[in-house]
Amino acid sequence: MNQEKRYHPLIILHDIWRLVSNSIFFFIFLFIIQANSEFWLYKYGRYAFVLLFIIILLDIPVKWFTSRYKIDDKSLQLQRRLFANSSRTIPYENIQHVRRKTTLFHRIFNMTSLTLETNVTGDHSSVTFQVLTPEESMDIEKQIRRKGNITDREVIFEENQAKPAIEIKYGNNAGYTVHFTPAKRDIFKAALTSFSFIAVIPIAWSLISNLEQLFHMEGKIEGMFSNMLHSWSWWMLLIFLTLLMLAAVFGGGILTALRYGKYEIASDVDHIYISKGILEMTSFMITKANVQAVSVHQSWMKRILGLAEVKLICAGGTSTEELEVNTLYPFLPVQRAYSMIREILPDYQVAANMERLPKKALSLRMLRPSWFWMIATVFLFYFRPDFFGIELAWWVPSIVILLLVIMSRVLSFFQTGFTMSGEFVQFKTGGFTNKLFLSKRTKIAELQLTRNIIQQKLGLVSIMMSHRARPVKHTRINDVPIEWCKVFRNWYISKEQAPVQQRTNWSTSR
Amino acid sequence: MIREVPLPKQRLSKDSMKAWLINEIILNVIGFLILGVLLYLDYYFLWKEWIGWILIILTALTIIDMIFSPLKMRLHYKHWRFDISEEFLQLKSGAINEKQQLIPMTRIQSVTIHQGPVLRRYKLYNIKVNTITTEHTIPALYETEAMELRNQIAHYANVKEPEA
Repeated sequence: MNQEKRYHPLIILHDIWRLVSNSIFFFIFLFIIQANSEFWLYKYGRYAFVLLFIIILLDIPVKWFTSRYKIDDKSLQLQRRLFANSSRTIPYENIQHVRRKTTLFHRIFNMTSLTLETNVTGDHSSVTFQVLTPEESMDIEKQIRRKGNITDREVIFEENQAKPAIEIKYGNNAGYTVHFTPAKRDIFKAALTSFSFIAVIPIAWSLISNLEQLFHMEGKIEGMFSNMLHSWSWWMLLIFLTLLMLAAVFGGGILTALRYGKYEIASDVDHIYISKGILEMTSFMITKANVQAVSVHQSWMKRILGLAEVKLICAGGTSTEELEVNTLYPFLPVQRAYSMIREILPDYQVAANMERLPKKALSLRMLRPSWFWMIATVFLFYFRPDFFGIELAWWVPSIVILLLVIMSRVLSFFQTGFTMSGEFVQFKTGGFTNKLFLSKRTKIAELQLTRNIIQQKLGLVSIMMSHRARPVKHTRINDVPIEWCKVFRNWYISKEQAPVQQRTNWSTSR
Repeated sequence: MIREVPLPKQRLSKDSMKAWLINEIILNVIGFLILGVLLYLDYYFLWKEWIGWILIILTALTIIDMIFSPLKMRLHYKHWRFDISEEFLQLKSGAINEKQQLIPMTRIQSVTIHQGPVLRRYKLYNIKVNTITTEHTIPALYETEAMELRNQIAHYANVKEPEA
């Protein structure tokens, strides 16, 4: 383990594969679509493309030959010796997240790739091993998890690891439990909620237009459609449209199944593991100590179907390419979501009863000017747009918007709840959607209390909490009564506990 | 039960009002110059009618703002409070929009002091506190007070708590 190594030779093939797939678009553009163009940009572009392609192609084996890495007891070292030497040392303590990704390429050769996210900002924030054998990836992860302090628990873990059966899956670590894998019903609900059948339409459309361009039949398909509209009878059209809809729903279901089908949420004592995807497998690991807060989010569609999304707000953020990284599973049944928080993060408690806003908060919310409605009304008055060919007086949509705004405010008044219990603070906000937010006092990075002149008169306060994450997470709750806010402020400053509330089992959740 | 923690009490220097007022006057003079040039151009090149109206409204608003600025400065000074303890930096400001901020010392990353030309005339300093999330400014403090506060914040912020 302690010696310098080259990367796996398959990385050459992987890089070539990547190079080809990255340049294929330019190739088609320069040599097929614009093949006959004598425009200087394309003409020299072709030479430049070939030159660049060859240089990168030659660089790939050279890069493999000159780069080495070393897995130490304490750190990871990356080296490259060419004309100048460069070396990077990454101590294991600095690594915040580990993500494993197995693409189609990796599956063919039974390999995997590993990305290590560090707490360093900037270009060097992450390290990626493009091609690794599953065993080796396991070894690296083990090293990182251990960080030098072996306990009994981890000795067991190592013994288990010694067994030859290594799947693309995390180890049978002591305390490793799987919390969730979606059943067929869950995927069906997910497909319905995510509106993925709508996502099929742009995909189909881009396919059609690509085909058109490739076979030089611009306008022919459109002509076909308009022809159909004119010559077919209404019931034939109806059947055709129904079939099309069914196909879209089916396609959407497949899309969702591919994304969320094979999903696993698991955890051991210190970490949370999530792996997902059928064709492209992604796994990652979150350190529990890095979790700053938990939020449970429900869109209106999810509320109808009784689903919720659990998000973990983590310090030492993840790279921007995968924003979903902190979402446990976007379509969890609500009660399962709450029980899972308790299972995964046993020191987090969800309080059953929350305090409500006082009545005066509702009147204040009603009186607050709605900029959205005003701007929308001015827009409607000025441009007088027509909706799908139906002509409406400009004030009709304006009133509809106003009603929606009022409804959302009334709902938000009834949705809002807040409480603190022991070490925890819990906020619930929303309108048509809703969001439950749970955090510990020690994790709140900053607290801001504001009141405008009307709130001062009514004795209401708005609270904003900031949490360490990348980007910084701000959570707001408006119009909390000042008496509660005073207690909250003192709770935050003085290190004393609030009276502990009874834990919920959410069997009677709203 | 939870102990009551007093609100912050320390105030800014009295000269802060003068410094802010001078700053405000300078800004207003620049604003008027720009508006004047625009009004002249509007008159000379016969721009569209509504541009003229907007310029006139802007000028009126600037004048109203200027009339109220001594009062604004006084209110700003009167309501600004701050306090530090070993664990927290507390800031409170604003009359119409009151704002209170609680910043744990462990989250403070750096403290710096700044002095612009106007502040220099009154020997005043701004203190800027950078946290993980944002930047906070404590404006217009006398030199000795500013230095002392800076050192104190730096000292408290250095004391590491095991909890991250």
